[in-house]
Parts: sequence; structure tokens; C-alpha cells
Amino acid sequence: MTGLSKTALRKGLMTAGALVLTTALAHGDEAAEQFRTDFLGGKLSWEDVSKRAAEEGKVNFYYWGGSDTINVWIDSVAAPAMKELGVTLNPVRITSTKDAIDLVLAEKNSGKGVGEGSVDAVWVNGENFYTLKQQEALFGSFAESVPNSANFDWNPDDPRSLLNLRDFGVTTDSQEIPWSGQQYVCAVNRQYVDAADTPSTFEEMKAYLEKNPGKFTYVKPPHWVGNTFVQSVMYSFNPDGNGGVPFQQSIDDLGAAELARLIKPGMEYLKSIEPLLLDADGGKPRYPEDIAALDGMFLNGEVYFNCKFGLYAVHTGLQTGAYPEKAEAFIFPKGVMIANKNYLAIPANSPNPASALLLANYMASVDSQASKLQNAGMPVGIDVWKLSADDAAKVKDAAPPLYGVTQAELDANVAPDTNASLVDVIEATWLEYIERGSSSSIEEIVDTMVKQMAQ
Amino acid sequence: MARKATNTFTHLSPFQRFYLIAVAGLIVGPFIPLIIQSLAFRWAWPNLLPTVWWMEQRERSPIPLAWDYVLSPYSRVYEATFNTMVIGLAVTVICLAICLPAARVLARESFRGKSSFEFFLSLPLIVPEAAIGIALLMIFINLGLAGSYFGIIIAHLIPTIPYMVRMLTAVYQGLGREFEEQAMILGATRWQILRMVTLPMLMPGVVAGALFTFLVSSNIFLLTFFLGQGKIITLPTLLFSKISGGTLDASAAGITLIVSLPGIILLIISERFIKEEAFGKGFGN
Repeated sequence: MTGLSKTALRKGLMTAGALVLTTALAHGDEAAEQFRTDFLGGKLSWEDVSKRAAEEGKVNFYYWGGSDTINVWIDSVAAPAMKELGVTLNPVRITSTKDAIDLVLAEKNSGKGVGEGSVDAVWVNGENFYTLKQQEALFGSFAESVPNSANFDWNPDDPRSLLNLRDFGVTTDSQEIPWSGQQYVCAVNRQYVDAADTPSTFEEMKAYLEKNPGKFTYVKPPHWVGNTFVQSVMYSFNPDGNGGVPFQQSIDDLGAAELARLIKPGMEYLKSIEPLLLDADGGKPRYPEDIAALDGMFLNGEVYFNCKFGLYAVHTGLQTGAYPEKAEAFIFPKGVMIANKNYLAIPANSPNPASALLLANYMASVDSQASKLQNAGMPVGIDVWKLSADDAAKVKDAAPPLYGVTQAELDANVAPDTNASLVDVIEATWLEYIERGSSSSIEEIVDTMVKQMAQ
Repeated sequence: MARKATNTFTHLSPFQRFYLIAVAGLIVGPFIPLIIQSLAFRWAWPNLLPTVWWMEQRERSPIPLAWDYVLSPYSRVYEATFNTMVIGLAVTVICLAICLPAARVLARESFRGKSSFEFFLSLPLIVPEAAIGIALLMIFINLGLAGSYFGIIIAHLIPTIPYMVRMLTAVYQGLGREFEEQAMILGATRWQILRMVTLPMLMPGVVAGALFTFLVSSNIFLLTFFLGQGKIITLPTLLFSKISGGTLDASAAGITLIVSLPGIILLIISERFIKEEAFGKGFGN
């Protein structure tokens, strides 16, 4: 009896396992596959998309959920607006965008195609988009086919379209749609530093730190905010004096030796300020792991400066009590305040692709962009010069106040971000040369890193 | 009981008192800054107390701050509490259903390989949770169980079963066969024996095991994080996403306090229940 039932059980389990495996591996959702082909082929009207979206009824939006203000905006503005369009927005807050990327790729690798995964839309930029694109895990070129694509400048001849067409130097191919634009802005605590002492270049910062050691630090790479800081140093110390221009090329075009030459002075500067940074006391400094840690140091007066992405970071920080009372923004580093955009991407295995398109279109609308700007302090991702006068005024009125700087000053100091393929190499070089204190030369390190990445 | 305790406290030597206060301070101490932080708007070093309190800013702020955020639907605290409870209860029930019969066999029967079987029981406690989590995630994605309650409940059984089996085995060992045999001799049916003899005598162990299982399940972070895929949030995953930045703002402090509530409540229940059951009218006396 026991023997028999055991064999039967084992057989049953094996069949069940095999069944599950085959269903998982087969392309189950042909309707979704057809929808994708038709939409990307331009065969569907927006009504068709809306109709299918209403049938799907749901959209799973994965986004970094570390900001209370953004969370409140998504739940209280975006979700009801999507509901009106007949789709339930399911906001999935994640700790790190990479988690969503890993999930998409894991599902893709277990054979889940269109209509079968779990992520419909994800808030990405830079490296994460690059990974999805490289792994061919994106739905397709949709951004120029949704009605609100009219709010963006797609004309490659207009230099202002750059951030819509390139994300950290990687061509977007309309596989993601801009959601917000950001600029790397530093804040200063006026309680300790008055305007006359405020540095505006890296040399001045070093001079300031020699007089006031320990009052500055930056988020450490590989965090993207840290990477951006390092990039702005590389631009400033570019021996050719043309800032971010050569950093727009990919590593294949630029070559390891040329990159090493370009970043050597910058890396040496970073090494030279190490003993002057927070808690270094002439030795190893303390680098915060992320923005929240740096915010804490800034609030506690451990450091007097706070550099991160956030045009309205001072406004939000004062509103939530996360910033000290006397915080305001300042122009630093002059001429190399990196600006970029962040985007919404639709993965190739989106379970509700039509709803994802509807969400992307809603997020690109003037109303949602203005409301997000006003309530969550997130700058618009749409291009104001493409809007009607009324809409442009709406955006202007929604903008939170700036502290210590004007929009014109910020615009005058814009620099582009670095090509995604260089970001990895520069990051790895920082880790090797600064963090591990490698005794090899910059040239050797860059060369090794480039070879490693190529593998 | 309480009066007796206060009376005796005055009779303690200064040393004894010092140690009691130190222990109490270490247990209660960490909660004090948390409570203050949860009520703060701006609290910077080196101020002993917040310079601006949440209540002062409450009317002025366009977004819900501190407890307003924690107790609003935006914080997801209710959803997370509900999920934690449902998963914890399901895990406890399933765990009991598996472990009660298993513990009986382990306590009463001897079979070949029993000692190595007992050794293997603790394996899930030795293997790092991250390793189990990643392996399970790969399998569960294929089975379509990732991101489902069922998947999380199964995952939670892995670290809870070893504890439960051990606890129940110990209880069964303490409960001699004689009681059941006695009832059988007196003509009780098997069902009657189970209902009126075995279960009541096992009760303290079962309750302790169940409370412990619930507590373990409601505290599992990594497995829930992997298998919930952000879709199913529980109190530990909610807390992690709030504090992973390394700073504790007012809303994070509030969520931390909420997350520690189930444990405190269970501790109070178990203290009462187990004391009464085991020492009031339990076996042995």
C-alpha cells in the first residue's frame, strides 16, 4: 500500500512539474504578442489601445518608493486619474530599481514573453535602461506613438532634443518615454557658510576644505549620485578643457588609453581631497552610501554641503524637515552641473501592455506633469517649448520656489551626463584607485577595467 | 502579584537594583528616541530634543507628515499589517498540522536513521536565508508562485518547521504514554483520547510553538522580500524599504514602532497564557 502510493505520488509530482514547466516555456499569450506587433507596426488607433487597456483593467507600475512626497502623489493623483481611464494603477514600491530589472530579466529567462511577466512599467534611467536594452527586454519603440509624444522634442537636428533621444549617451530609440528632468544641484547650509566663502569651483572647494577640514563629502560610487559627482569632477579637470564633450562617446569609440588620459587629472584631484573630507582627519574619509545618509549628515551639520540630483531638493527638504533651516542651493561646480532625464520603460514581458501605454501617455500629459511638479517637487520631463502658451504657463505656475539660485543660472551651467559605457569604467576606476587605494597607475587600472567589461 | 513585586523591590540591594534598571533601560531605552523621532519635524545633532515638532508644522505642510503619513493609506501600513497577519496565521496553522504528527513520531518511535533525520531538521536554520531565497525564487518563478501569498507561506514554512518540530517533540517527550494508555483502558475512543487527554496536555507546548512560529513568520524579511517581489508587502519589508537609506525620519520611526507592536502583543499574550497553562493547572503538579 505504502509502496504503491509512493510511486503514484512521485509520478504525479513529476507530471505536474513537467506540465508547469512546459506551460511556462511556451509563448502562452498570443493575443498580447499580436497586440505588440500591431501597435509597434502602427496598425492600431489609440481607441484600440484604450479598449484593450480597459479589458486588461490593471497596470503594475514599479518605481523607487523611497520618497514620501512621490508616494503620496502617485496614490492620490496618478491612481485616481488612471481609474478614470478605466485602469487600476497598482503602484509597486521598490527599494532599488535594479530589483525590478532583475525581476524582468529573471522572468524573461524563464521564458515569459509579452502578457506573461509581472512588470508593466518601470521608472528607469542610465544603467538600468542600458541593461534592459542590451538584454532585449523592452516592449519596443512606443514613446513617439502615444498621443502625448507631442509634448516632447524628437527632432535630432535640434540639440534640445538630446535628452529625449539619449539616456546617459545610450540611444533611447523611443523604448522609454521621459518622465522627469533633473539637474545635479548642491545645497549649502548658510548657518555655517556665508556667501563670500561659498566655493563655485572644485579648486575653491579644496581651498575651503583646507581651512575647514571635514565639512564636505560625497555619495560614494557605485551609487549613481556618487557616479555623477565623480563625472562632474572628470569634466572639470578634462585636460583638453572641453568639459563633458568627449565623454559623450562610447568606450569603443573613445578607447581605454584616451579615457585614462582624460580622467587622470580628475582622479588625482579626488585622491588629493580625500584627507580633507568628512572624518578623514588626514586619513580615510567617510563616504555616505546613498542620498538619505548624506541628507542626515547635512541636517546634523556634519557636512555643510549636500550635492545630489534635485532642482527642488531644498524646497522638498525644507517642507519635510529633512534639510536644515538655513539650507539653500548654490551654483557648483560652475558650468558642469550635470542634467539628465529619467524615464518610464515598458518591459518586453509586460502582462498588460495596453494599460502600460495608457499609463505612459498619462504620465506625459501636461496636467500630470504640472501636478507632479507642484506636489512632489519633481521637475517636468516634457519640453516646455513644445507646449502651447497656456500649458507652458501652467507648468511655470506649478513650479515650487528655488532657494538661492535662479532657473536662468541653473540653465546657464548645464552639462550633459556621461555615456553609460564610460560610467561603468569610471566607477570601477574610482573604486580601485580611491576606495581600495590601488598603487597601479590610472592608465593600468582603466585598461584592466575596459578589458574586464569587454568580456 | 504586582504589589508583592513592588514591595520586594525596596528590599533589593543597590547592586541588584542597578542591574534590574540596566536591563530595563536596555530593553525600553531604544524605544525612547524612536518615539521622539516619530513626533519630530526637524531633529538635528546635537540637540537633545527636536527643534521643530511635527505638530507645529502639521497645519502648514501640504503633505502628510510623521504620524499623519504613517496612519494614512499612503504609508501602506494597513496593507502590510493585514498581509503579515494572514501569512503568519496560515504559516502557523500549516506548521502545526505538519509538526504535530511528526513530533509524535519523533518522540515516541525509533527508526533507522532517526538521529541523522533529527540533524537534518536543523539544516534550514544553518543554510543562509539568502541562498534559500534565491534558489526558491528561481523555482517559484517557473511554477508561477513568485509574488503570491501561497509562495510566501511555503517559503515561511522552511525556517519555522525546525523550531516547531523541536518544541513539540520536547513536549511529547514530557508527556508519557501512560496517560493515553490509561484513558484507553478506561474505554475511551482514539478521538476522545486525542481531544480530552493528549491535546489538553500538549496545549502549553502547542500555544508556545504557535506563538513562536507566528513571531518568526512575522519577522522574516529576506524570504518575503525575494518571493513577494514588491507585490506583497509585509511589515518587515515595508520597514526595510523605509529605513534602507540609513536615516530614520519621523515617518520611518513611526513605522518602526508599528512594526514592533505585533511582537509586543504576542509577548504579553504568551507570558500570560503559558504561565497560567503550564504552571497554573499544567501537567506535573
